[in-house]
Amino acid sequence: MTVDTRSTPGGSGGSSGLYDVLELVLDRGLVIDAFVRVSLVGIEILKVDVRVVVASVDTYLRFAEACNRLDLETGRKAPAQLTDVVDDMTESGARGKTRGALQGAAQTVSETLGRSSSRQQKKEEQEK
Amino acid sequence: MSTYVYGITRSSHPALPEKADGVGDPPRPVRVITHGGVAALVSDAPENLRPKRRDLLAHQNVLGEAGEAGTVLPLRFGGVSPDDDAVLAVLREREAHYLERLTSLDGKVEYNVKAAHDEEAVLHQVLVDNPDLRALSQDHRATGGGTYEQKLALGERVAAAVKHREARDAVLVQEALEGAAVECRPGPEGTGRLVNLSFLVERDHAGAFSDAVDALRREHGHLVLQVNGPLPPYSFVE
Repeated sequence: MTVDTRSTPGGSGGSSGLYDVLELVLDRGLVIDAFVRVSLVGIEILKVDVRVVVASVDTYLRFAEACNRLDLETGRKAPAQLTDVVDDMTESGARGKTRGALQGAAQTVSETLGRSSSRQQKKEEQEK
Repeated sequence: MSTYVYGITRSSHPALPEKADGVGDPPRPVRVITHGGVAALVSDAPENLRPKRRDLLAHQNVLGEAGEAGTVLPLRFGGVSPDDDAVLAVLREREAHYLERLTSLDGKVEYNVKAAHDEEAVLHQVLVDNPDLRALSQDHRATGGGTYEQKLALGERVAAAVKHREARDAVLVQEALEGAAVECRPGPEGTGRLVNLSFLVERDHAGAFSDAVDALRREHGHLVLQVNGPLPPYSFVE
Protein backbone atom coordinates (compact mmCIF):
# COMPACT_ATOMS: atom_id res chain seq x y z
CA MET A 1 0.00 0.00 0.00
CA THR A 2 1.26 3.43 -0.80
CA VAL A 3 0.10 6.54 0.90
CA ASP A 4 0.61 9.60 -1.21
CA THR A 5 2.59 11.97 0.93
CA ARG A 6 3.54 14.50 -1.66
CA SER A 7 0.48 16.61 -1.60
CA THR A 8 -0.30 19.59 0.45
CA PRO A 9 -3.11 20.30 2.87
CA GLY A 10 -6.05 22.20 1.57
CA GLY A 11 -9.04 19.91 1.47
CA SER A 12 -7.97 18.49 4.77
CA GLY A 13 -9.20 21.39 6.84
CA GLY A 14 -5.80 21.64 8.42
CA SER A 15 -6.25 18.37 10.26
CA SER A 16 -3.10 16.62 9.19
CA GLY A 17 -3.26 14.80 12.52
CA LEU A 18 -6.33 13.05 11.23
CA TYR A 19 -4.35 11.54 8.39
CA ASP A 20 -1.70 10.35 10.75
CA VAL A 21 -4.35 8.42 12.62
CA LEU A 22 -5.92 7.05 9.45
CA GLU A 23 -2.54 5.71 8.45
CA LEU A 24 -2.64 3.52 11.55
CA VAL A 25 -6.23 2.51 10.83
CA LEU A 26 -5.11 1.30 7.41
CA ASP A 27 -1.79 -0.21 8.26
CA ARG A 28 -1.96 -1.42 11.83
CA GLY A 29 -4.56 -3.25 13.85
CA LEU A 30 -5.61 -6.83 14.14
CA VAL A 31 -6.08 -8.85 10.97
CA ILE A 32 -8.27 -11.93 11.31
CA ASP A 33 -7.57 -14.60 8.74
CA ALA A 34 -11.16 -15.75 8.55
CA PHE A 35 -12.26 -12.34 7.29
CA VAL A 36 -11.83 -10.86 3.86
CA ARG A 37 -10.14 -7.51 3.62
CA VAL A 38 -11.53 -4.68 1.57
CA SER A 39 -9.31 -3.82 -1.34
CA LEU A 40 -7.11 -0.86 -0.62
CA VAL A 41 -6.66 0.17 -4.22
CA GLY A 42 -7.14 3.87 -4.65
CA ILE A 43 -5.90 4.77 -1.24
CA GLU A 44 -4.33 7.99 -2.47
CA ILE A 45 -7.24 9.81 -0.88
CA LEU A 46 -4.89 10.06 2.04
CA LYS A 47 -2.88 13.20 1.80
CA VAL A 48 -0.23 14.19 4.23
CA ASP A 49 1.61 17.44 4.23
CA VAL A 50 5.19 16.57 4.87
CA ARG A 51 8.60 17.74 3.93
CA VAL A 52 10.76 15.21 2.25
CA VAL A 53 14.47 15.19 1.82
CA VAL A 54 14.70 13.60 -1.57
CA ALA A 55 17.86 13.36 -3.56
CA SER A 56 16.70 15.57 -6.37
CA VAL A 57 17.78 18.64 -8.23
CA ASP A 58 14.81 20.52 -6.80
CA THR A 59 15.83 19.73 -3.25
CA TYR A 60 19.44 20.68 -3.86
CA LEU A 61 18.47 24.02 -5.34
CA ARG A 62 15.97 24.69 -2.59
CA PHE A 63 18.54 23.92 0.10
CA ALA A 64 21.24 25.97 -1.55
CA GLU A 65 18.97 28.95 -1.86
CA ALA A 66 17.66 28.56 1.68
CA CYS A 67 21.24 28.44 2.95
CA ASN A 68 22.04 31.58 1.05
CA ARG A 69 19.14 33.33 2.74
CA LEU A 70 20.15 32.20 6.21
CA ASP A 71 21.83 34.84 8.25
CA LEU A 72 24.54 33.16 10.21
CA GLU A 73 24.74 35.52 13.08
CA THR A 74 25.71 35.51 16.63
CA GLY A 75 29.35 36.39 16.52
CA ARG A 76 30.40 33.13 18.08
CA LYS A 77 33.16 31.26 16.39
CA ALA A 78 34.36 34.52 14.96
CA PRO A 79 37.63 34.01 13.18
CA ALA A 80 40.73 35.07 14.99
CA GLN A 81 41.87 37.48 12.37
CA LEU A 82 38.60 39.16 11.78
CA THR A 83 40.03 42.32 10.33
CA ASP A 84 41.98 40.46 7.71
CA VAL A 85 38.93 38.57 6.65
CA VAL A 86 36.87 41.72 6.39
CA ASP A 87 39.47 43.43 4.28
CA ASP A 88 39.87 40.43 2.11
CA MET A 89 36.16 40.02 1.61
CA THR A 90 35.42 43.61 0.95
CA GLU A 91 38.07 43.65 -1.64
CA SER A 92 36.81 40.49 -3.25
CA GLY A 93 33.24 41.68 -3.09
CA ALA A 94 34.22 44.88 -4.78
CA ARG A 95 35.68 42.89 -7.63
CA GLY A 96 32.45 40.96 -7.91
CA LYS A 97 33.96 37.62 -6.98
CA THR A 98 34.96 35.90 -3.78
CA ARG A 99 37.52 33.45 -2.64
CA GLY A 100 35.61 31.51 -0.07
CA ALA A 101 37.25 32.74 3.11
CA LEU A 102 34.00 33.65 4.80
CA GLN A 103 34.12 30.70 7.11
CA GLY A 104 33.17 31.63 10.63
CA ALA A 105 32.43 35.22 9.83
CA ALA A 106 30.66 37.17 12.51
CA GLN A 107 27.31 38.75 11.92
CA THR A 108 28.62 42.18 11.22
CA VAL A 109 30.86 40.82 8.57
CA SER A 110 28.23 38.84 6.76
CA GLU A 111 25.74 41.68 6.95
CA THR A 112 28.16 44.18 5.56
CA LEU A 113 29.17 41.80 2.90
CA GLY A 114 25.58 40.85 2.12
CA ARG A 115 24.68 44.47 1.60
CA SER A 116 27.66 45.34 -0.46
CA SER A 117 27.35 42.30 -2.66
CA SER A 118 23.67 42.84 -3.25
CA ARG A 119 24.38 46.43 -4.17
CA GLN A 120 27.09 45.19 -6.41
CA GLN A 121 24.71 42.73 -7.96
CA LYS A 122 22.09 45.36 -8.59
CA LYS A 123 24.64 47.62 -10.14
CA GLU A 124 25.76 44.86 -12.43
CA GLU A 125 22.21 44.11 -13.38
CA GLN A 126 21.58 47.72 -14.22
CA GLU A 127 24.66 47.82 -16.33
CA LYS A 128 23.55 44.87 -18.39
CA MET B 1 -25.38 -9.75 4.14
CA SER B 2 -21.71 -9.67 5.08
CA THR B 3 -20.56 -8.21 8.37
CA TYR B 4 -18.01 -5.47 8.91
CA VAL B 5 -15.87 -5.89 12.05
CA TYR B 6 -14.36 -2.94 13.96
CA GLY B 7 -12.76 -4.52 16.96
CA ILE B 8 -12.91 -7.00 19.78
CA THR B 9 -13.46 -6.23 23.41
CA ARG B 10 -14.83 -7.83 26.56
CA SER B 11 -18.52 -8.52 26.80
CA SER B 12 -18.31 -6.80 30.19
CA HIS B 13 -17.18 -3.54 28.53
CA PRO B 14 -19.24 -0.87 30.32
CA ALA B 15 -20.06 1.39 27.36
CA LEU B 16 -20.10 -0.41 24.03
CA PRO B 17 -20.82 2.07 21.23
CA GLU B 18 -23.97 0.27 20.17
CA LYS B 19 -25.94 2.07 17.44
CA ALA B 20 -23.01 4.42 16.80
CA ASP B 21 -22.47 5.43 13.17
CA GLY B 22 -20.40 2.84 11.37
CA VAL B 23 -19.07 2.58 7.84
CA GLY B 24 -21.18 3.20 4.75
CA ASP B 25 -23.39 5.94 3.40
CA PRO B 26 -25.81 6.16 5.07
CA PRO B 27 -23.79 4.93 8.10
CA ARG B 28 -24.63 1.40 9.21
CA PRO B 29 -25.36 1.26 12.94
CA VAL B 30 -22.89 -0.58 15.14
CA ARG B 31 -24.02 -3.87 16.67
CA VAL B 32 -22.43 -6.19 19.21
CA ILE B 33 -21.88 -9.92 18.80
CA THR B 34 -21.06 -11.62 22.08
CA HIS B 35 -19.62 -14.97 22.96
CA GLY B 36 -18.72 -15.72 26.58
CA GLY B 37 -16.25 -13.11 27.81
CA VAL B 38 -15.60 -11.46 24.46
CA ALA B 39 -17.61 -9.25 22.13
CA ALA B 40 -17.11 -8.07 18.58
CA LEU B 41 -18.15 -4.60 17.45
CA VAL B 42 -19.70 -5.01 14.02
CA SER B 43 -22.14 -3.50 11.57
CA ASP B 44 -23.63 -4.57 8.29
CA ALA B 45 -21.00 -4.21 5.57
CA PRO B 46 -22.03 -1.86 2.78
CA GLU B 47 -21.78 -3.15 -0.77
CA ASN B 48 -18.56 -2.13 -2.47
CA LEU B 49 -16.95 -0.77 0.66
CA ARG B 50 -13.92 1.31 -0.24
CA PRO B 51 -11.34 2.97 1.97
CA LYS B 52 -12.93 6.35 1.69
CA ARG B 53 -12.12 8.99 4.21
CA ARG B 54 -15.55 8.94 5.81
CA ASP B 55 -15.36 5.17 6.23
CA LEU B 56 -11.87 5.26 7.70
CA LEU B 57 -13.08 7.92 10.08
CA ALA B 58 -16.13 5.91 11.04
CA HIS B 59 -13.90 2.94 11.81
CA GLN B 60 -11.64 5.09 13.97
CA ASN B 61 -14.55 6.80 15.70
CA VAL B 62 -16.22 3.55 16.71
CA LEU B 63 -12.94 2.25 18.12
CA GLY B 64 -12.07 5.57 19.72
CA GLU B 65 -15.39 5.63 21.50
CA ALA B 66 -15.07 2.04 22.66
CA GLY B 67 -11.49 2.66 23.75
CA GLU B 68 -12.43 5.54 26.01
CA ALA B 69 -14.38 3.37 28.40
CA GLY B 70 -12.53 0.08 28.18
CA THR B 71 -9.88 -1.94 26.42
CA VAL B 72 -10.45 -2.82 22.79
CA LEU B 73 -8.44 -4.75 20.23
CA PRO B 74 -8.77 -2.61 17.11
CA LEU B 75 -9.03 -4.41 13.79
CA ARG B 76 -7.29 -3.01 10.77
CA PHE B 77 -9.67 -1.17 8.47
CA GLY B 78 -11.53 -3.34 6.01
CA GLY B 79 -12.12 -6.64 7.79
CA VAL B 80 -15.30 -8.16 6.42
CA SER B 81 -16.80 -11.43 7.60
CA PRO B 82 -19.18 -13.44 5.40
CA ASP B 83 -21.86 -13.14 8.08
CA ASP B 84 -22.50 -12.81 11.84
CA ASP B 85 -22.11 -16.55 12.37
CA ALA B 86 -18.57 -16.46 11.05
CA VAL B 87 -17.75 -13.68 13.55
CA LEU B 88 -19.24 -15.79 16.32
CA ALA B 89 -17.13 -18.74 15.23
CA VAL B 90 -13.97 -16.64 15.47
CA LEU B 91 -14.92 -15.40 18.94
CA ARG B 92 -15.65 -18.95 20.07
CA GLU B 93 -12.38 -20.27 18.73
CA ARG B 94 -10.16 -17.47 20.00
CA GLU B 95 -11.90 -16.29 23.17
CA ALA B 96 -9.01 -17.21 25.48
CA HIS B 97 -6.44 -15.61 23.20
CA TYR B 98 -8.38 -12.36 22.89
CA LEU B 99 -8.98 -12.19 26.64
CA GLU B 100 -5.28 -12.63 27.21
CA ARG B 101 -4.47 -9.84 24.74
CA LEU B 102 -7.11 -7.57 26.30
CA THR B 103 -5.64 -8.14 29.75
CA SER B 104 -2.14 -7.28 28.56
CA LEU B 105 -3.42 -4.01 27.07
CA ASP B 106 -5.66 -3.00 29.97
CA GLY B 107 -5.12 0.60 31.00
CA LYS B 108 -2.81 1.30 28.07
CA VAL B 109 -3.24 3.56 25.07
CA GLU B 110 -1.25 4.31 21.96
CA TYR B 111 0.43 7.59 21.15
CA ASN B 112 1.80 8.02 17.65
CA VAL B 113 4.65 10.43 17.29
CA LYS B 114 6.04 11.74 14.05
CA ALA B 115 8.98 14.05 13.84
CA ALA B 116 10.21 16.17 10.99
CA HIS B 117 12.79 18.89 10.76
CA ASP B 118 11.99 22.54 10.75
CA GLU B 119 13.81 23.19 7.52
CA GLU B 120 15.24 26.57 8.29
CA ALA B 121 16.36 25.55 11.76
CA VAL B 122 18.03 22.37 10.58
CA LEU B 123 19.80 24.11 7.70
CA HIS B 124 21.05 26.63 10.17
CA GLN B 125 22.43 23.86 12.37
CA VAL B 126 24.02 22.13 9.42
CA LEU B 127 25.82 25.32 8.45
CA VAL B 128 26.91 26.01 11.99
CA ASP B 129 28.29 22.49 12.34
CA ASN B 130 29.99 22.33 8.95
CA PRO B 131 32.49 25.13 8.39
CA ASP B 132 33.13 23.99 4.83
CA LEU B 133 29.50 24.21 3.85
CA ARG B 134 29.12 27.50 5.61
CA ALA B 135 32.07 28.94 3.75
CA LEU B 136 30.69 27.68 0.47
CA SER B 137 27.27 29.10 1.15
CA GLN B 138 28.58 32.48 2.15
CA ASP B 139 30.78 32.43 -0.87
CA HIS B 140 27.73 32.01 -3.06
CA ARG B 141 25.91 34.65 -1.17
CA ALA B 142 28.67 37.09 -1.81
CA THR B 143 28.38 36.49 -5.53
CA GLY B 144 24.65 36.85 -5.60
CA GLY B 145 23.75 33.20 -5.08
CA GLY B 146 26.30 31.32 -7.13
CA THR B 147 25.89 29.62 -10.46
CA TYR B 148 23.42 26.82 -11.10
CA GLU B 149 26.20 24.24 -10.84
CA GLN B 150 27.50 25.76 -7.63
CA LYS B 151 24.04 25.70 -6.10
CA LEU B 152 23.57 22.07 -7.07
CA ALA B 153 26.91 21.11 -5.58
CA LEU B 154 26.22 22.96 -2.35
CA GLY B 155 22.64 21.71 -2.14
CA GLU B 156 23.72 18.12 -2.60
CA ARG B 157 26.18 18.33 0.25
CA VAL B 158 23.68 20.12 2.46
CA ALA B 159 21.05 17.47 1.70
CA ALA B 160 23.50 14.75 2.71
CA ALA B 161 24.21 16.55 5.97
CA VAL B 162 20.49 16.95 6.64
CA LYS B 163 19.93 13.23 6.02
CA HIS B 164 22.69 12.38 8.42
CA ARG B 165 21.06 14.57 11.02
CA GLU B 166 17.69 12.92 10.38
CA ALA B 167 19.11 9.55 11.34
CA ARG B 168 20.63 11.00 14.47
CA ASP B 169 17.45 12.79 15.48
CA ALA B 170 15.36 9.67 14.92
CA VAL B 171 17.35 7.98 17.66
CA LEU B 172 17.12 11.08 19.79
CA VAL B 173 13.31 11.14 19.62
CA GLN B 174 12.97 7.47 20.49
CA GLU B 175 15.37 7.67 23.39
CA ALA B 176 13.72 10.78 24.75
CA LEU B 177 10.25 9.24 24.82
CA GLU B 178 10.56 5.51 25.36
CA GLY B 179 11.30 5.97 29.04
CA ALA B 180 7.77 7.27 29.55
CA ALA B 181 6.22 4.35 27.62
CA VAL B 182 5.70 0.64 28.15
CA GLU B 183 6.65 -0.25 24.60
CA CYS B 184 7.69 1.41 21.38
CA ARG B 185 7.14 0.20 17.82
CA PRO B 186 7.86 1.74 14.45
CA GLY B 187 4.89 3.29 12.68
CA PRO B 188 3.90 2.52 9.10
CA GLU B 189 6.53 3.15 6.47
CA GLY B 190 6.28 6.54 4.94
CA THR B 191 8.32 9.33 3.57
CA GLY B 192 8.75 12.84 4.71
CA ARG B 193 9.42 12.41 8.35
CA LEU B 194 12.56 11.47 10.07
CA VAL B 195 10.79 9.16 12.46
CA ASN B 196 7.35 7.65 12.94
CA LEU B 197 6.91 5.79 16.21
CA SER B 198 4.02 4.44 18.21
CA PHE B 199 4.29 4.27 21.96
CA LEU B 200 2.19 2.16 24.28
CA VAL B 201 1.58 4.29 27.33
CA GLU B 202 -0.12 3.59 30.64
CA ARG B 203 -3.22 5.76 30.61
CA ASP B 204 -2.36 6.88 34.14
CA HIS B 205 1.09 7.97 32.99
CA ALA B 206 -0.07 9.91 29.95
CA GLY B 207 0.91 13.14 31.72
CA ALA B 208 4.50 12.00 32.06
CA PHE B 209 4.56 11.08 28.38
CA SER B 210 3.26 14.53 27.42
CA ASP B 211 5.90 16.09 29.65
CA ALA B 212 8.60 14.12 27.84
CA VAL B 213 7.25 15.36 24.50
CA ASP B 214 7.19 18.95 25.76
CA ALA B 215 10.74 18.68 27.02
CA LEU B 216 11.89 17.31 23.67
CA ARG B 217 10.18 20.20 21.88
CA ARG B 218 11.75 22.71 24.21
CA GLU B 219 15.25 21.34 23.99
CA HIS B 220 15.30 20.67 20.26
CA GLY B 221 13.59 23.51 18.50
CA HIS B 222 14.56 22.20 15.08
CA LEU B 223 12.23 19.20 15.53
CA VAL B 224 8.61 19.46 14.52
CA LEU B 225 6.74 16.86 16.54
CA GLN B 226 3.27 15.67 15.76
CA VAL B 227 1.65 13.63 18.50
CA ASN B 228 -1.61 11.75 18.14
CA GLY B 229 -3.28 10.04 21.02
CA PRO B 230 -4.65 8.56 23.09
CA LEU B 231 -5.60 6.02 20.44
CA PRO B 232 -6.74 2.41 20.56
CA PRO B 233 -3.57 0.29 20.53
CA TYR B 234 -3.49 -0.29 16.75
CA SER B 235 0.23 -0.97 16.73
CA PHE B 236 0.26 -3.36 19.66
CA VAL B 237 -2.35 -5.99 18.88
CA GLU B 238 -0.36 -8.33 16.67
